[in-house]
Amino acid sequence: MTDYSVEATGLTKYFDSFKAVDHVSLQVPAGCIYGVLGPNGAGKTTSLRMMLGIVDPDEGTSRLLGSHRPQAVRHRIGYLPEERGLYPGMKAREAIAFMGALRGLDWSEGRRRAATFMTELGLERVIDEKIRKMSKGMAQMVQLIGSIVHAPDLIVLDEPFSGLDPVNQERLETLVRREQARGATILFSTHVMAHAERLCDRLAIIARSARRFEGTVDDARALLPMQVRYTPRDGSDTVAALLPAGAERRGEAWHFAIEDSAVEPLLARITAGGHGVAGLSIARPALHDAFVHIVRQVDAGFDGDPEEDAIEEDAA
Amino acid sequence: MTPFLRNLLVIARRDFLAIVATPTFLLFLLAPLFMVGMGLVGGMGASQLADSARGAGRIVAIADAADVEALRAADKSLRAAMPREPATLEVRLASASLDPVAVAREKGSDTYAVMSGPLTAPRIVEREANSSSGRYLALIAGEVVRGRVAGAPPPIAPHFEALTHGGTSIAAQQSLGFGAVFVIFLVTLLLAGQTVSSLAEEKGNKVIEILAAAVPLESVFLGKLLGFLGVAILFIAFWLLVAIAGGFVAATQLDPAAIAAAGKPAAALAVAPASGWPFFIGVGFAYFVMAFLLLGAVFLGVGAQAGTVREIQMLSLPITIFQVGMFSLSAAAASAPGSRLATFAQIFPFSSPFAMAARAATDEGHGIHLLALGWQAIWVALVVYLSVRLFRAGVLSGGSGWKVWKRKRA
Repeated sequence: MTDYSVEATGLTKYFDSFKAVDHVSLQVPAGCIYGVLGPNGAGKTTSLRMMLGIVDPDEGTSRLLGSHRPQAVRHRIGYLPEERGLYPGMKAREAIAFMGALRGLDWSEGRRRAATFMTELGLERVIDEKIRKMSKGMAQMVQLIGSIVHAPDLIVLDEPFSGLDPVNQERLETLVRREQARGATILFSTHVMAHAERLCDRLAIIARSARRFEGTVDDARALLPMQVRYTPRDGSDTVAALLPAGAERRGEAWHFAIEDSAVEPLLARITAGGHGVAGLSIARPALHDAFVHIVRQVDAGFDGDPEEDAIEEDAA
Repeated sequence: MTPFLRNLLVIARRDFLAIVATPTFLLFLLAPLFMVGMGLVGGMGASQLADSARGAGRIVAIADAADVEALRAADKSLRAAMPREPATLEVRLASASLDPVAVAREKGSDTYAVMSGPLTAPRIVEREANSSSGRYLALIAGEVVRGRVAGAPPPIAPHFEALTHGGTSIAAQQSLGFGAVFVIFLVTLLLAGQTVSSLAEEKGNKVIEILAAAVPLESVFLGKLLGFLGVAILFIAFWLLVAIAGGFVAATQLDPAAIAAAGKPAAALAVAPASGWPFFIGVGFAYFVMAFLLLGAVFLGVGAQAGTVREIQMLSLPITIFQVGMFSLSAAAASAPGSRLATFAQIFPFSSPFAMAARAATDEGHGIHLLALGWQAIWVALVVYLSVRLFRAGVLSGGSGWKVWKRKRA
């Protein structure tokens, strides 16, 4: 038994001549919540599909829960695909039990757990309602329950938050944390940074088919210098001389980035300058900014290489 | 139970219930009623025509009172020996005013022949020259006269002995074989074609990814086949029960005399396939299952490649032609048992179930069927395996392009 629930090495997938996924490697430690972030069409879904053995990679290997054959451990895995799908004619309880049965759970036990889960998530009204009569968000919650009803050790959720209202998003976050507390490893993809920032123990950023970052949320945020917002008490323009070059004035406040090592000297300068402090905040940028920064950098790299871009457009 | 089998049954259960638990299924189940109803209406009309014709036909003997009983007795004894039963005999007492030609022309019934005059030199008026009815009247007259001349013949005590084996003619067995081919083909045609569109549902509502992630695709395909087979067997069982119940009702309504009168169909039932009825029926059912699985697997695999409902509709024509082709091949083989064509049809996997069912009608061997069933089962597995490979390669991996020939060339 390894300490990693997912170990993917060098996963590569071509669609025609387009390299949809380019040597993506991921190591998801057991028991953590791991986010795969990336812009639309970056290759997140294809990477997840390859990890789960739904799509065969052209290169690379994937190991789930210590096994090279996903089918061998399939009853310990739960998966919510990006393209949601349920049989519209099935009742919610049956749909959940069916998905559990696919993963080796007993039908009657599946039905029982379905009722419990749905009640907990505030869906008790529609337990015996057919899927086609439900709203899209409800159906998605049903499918989510179906993905975890068999209490899997590894839960893979592809864009689980999209299509949910804020209340259900909150419920989903609670559910994810609870599953982690139960001992499950959760791997999910998203392009909404707020969820990732709140939930993830570690994350990877995939852009332009390749992995561009791997680490904790704080690691990602540390990629960018800290942001300072300083409002002098006297409001004079001469304060600009004390601040680093590139400081920008918006209203009363000055905005600028600052290296970690420059924080204390700056404070000393401001105190000594005599302009006073009406407001001061020094903060790490949000994950959002780090993400946009990384993706932009990657895009800039591609723009600098027109030939590679041309190939890609051909394929698309 | 192995996990594979478990998955298979989960899929089969879902498919079976999804089909059966709908109002549409009732329509599907009762569809043959329309066929039966049409047949009944047509049949009733035809039989009424035949009945009125038969009831009206007669032959007439005009005889003296002394001859009446003798004539009736002769008719009774000779009638049964005739290859085709003559029309009803009507015996009338001779009188001066009774003109045979007038009798022959009486309205209300078809009079085939009228005999009058002394029995040694009867005058026979026929509707058509040299008719069998006329000859039959002459024969009766001859019998009466011969009896009188020779006196009562000594009674004979015949002892009948029937061949219990080899009693059924080869021709009858061949038609039995053809019947088996036809029935299996018809049922397969009606029921197996449904599998073409079965994966379209999962592709349409995106459930396929859940299935593909959770269970091996082989068990998805086989499970679907099994689900459809369940529906087919339910369908057949329902109609078999209806037929049996109908038979019982008919048996209680009819009096034994009427059943005895319908001697011909009973005689047809006495035809036995070479391998015996229980074995023939059992193996026929097994071959139906195989035919269903084999053709169903092909259709499922082909249908899985289709992207839209329209494509599935387009595909149903070549599929029907393929089925009819297999039927023709097997039918030809059934009418020429032992020929090279028959051997080919029995070995070629997609016609094998039909052709082997026909063989069971004409050939005593039992062991060969086990071999054939095994051979067909291998092909079912092979077709499913290939369908899955194609599906994985084309539909699941191909991103937006689902066609096989659009695969990556990296």
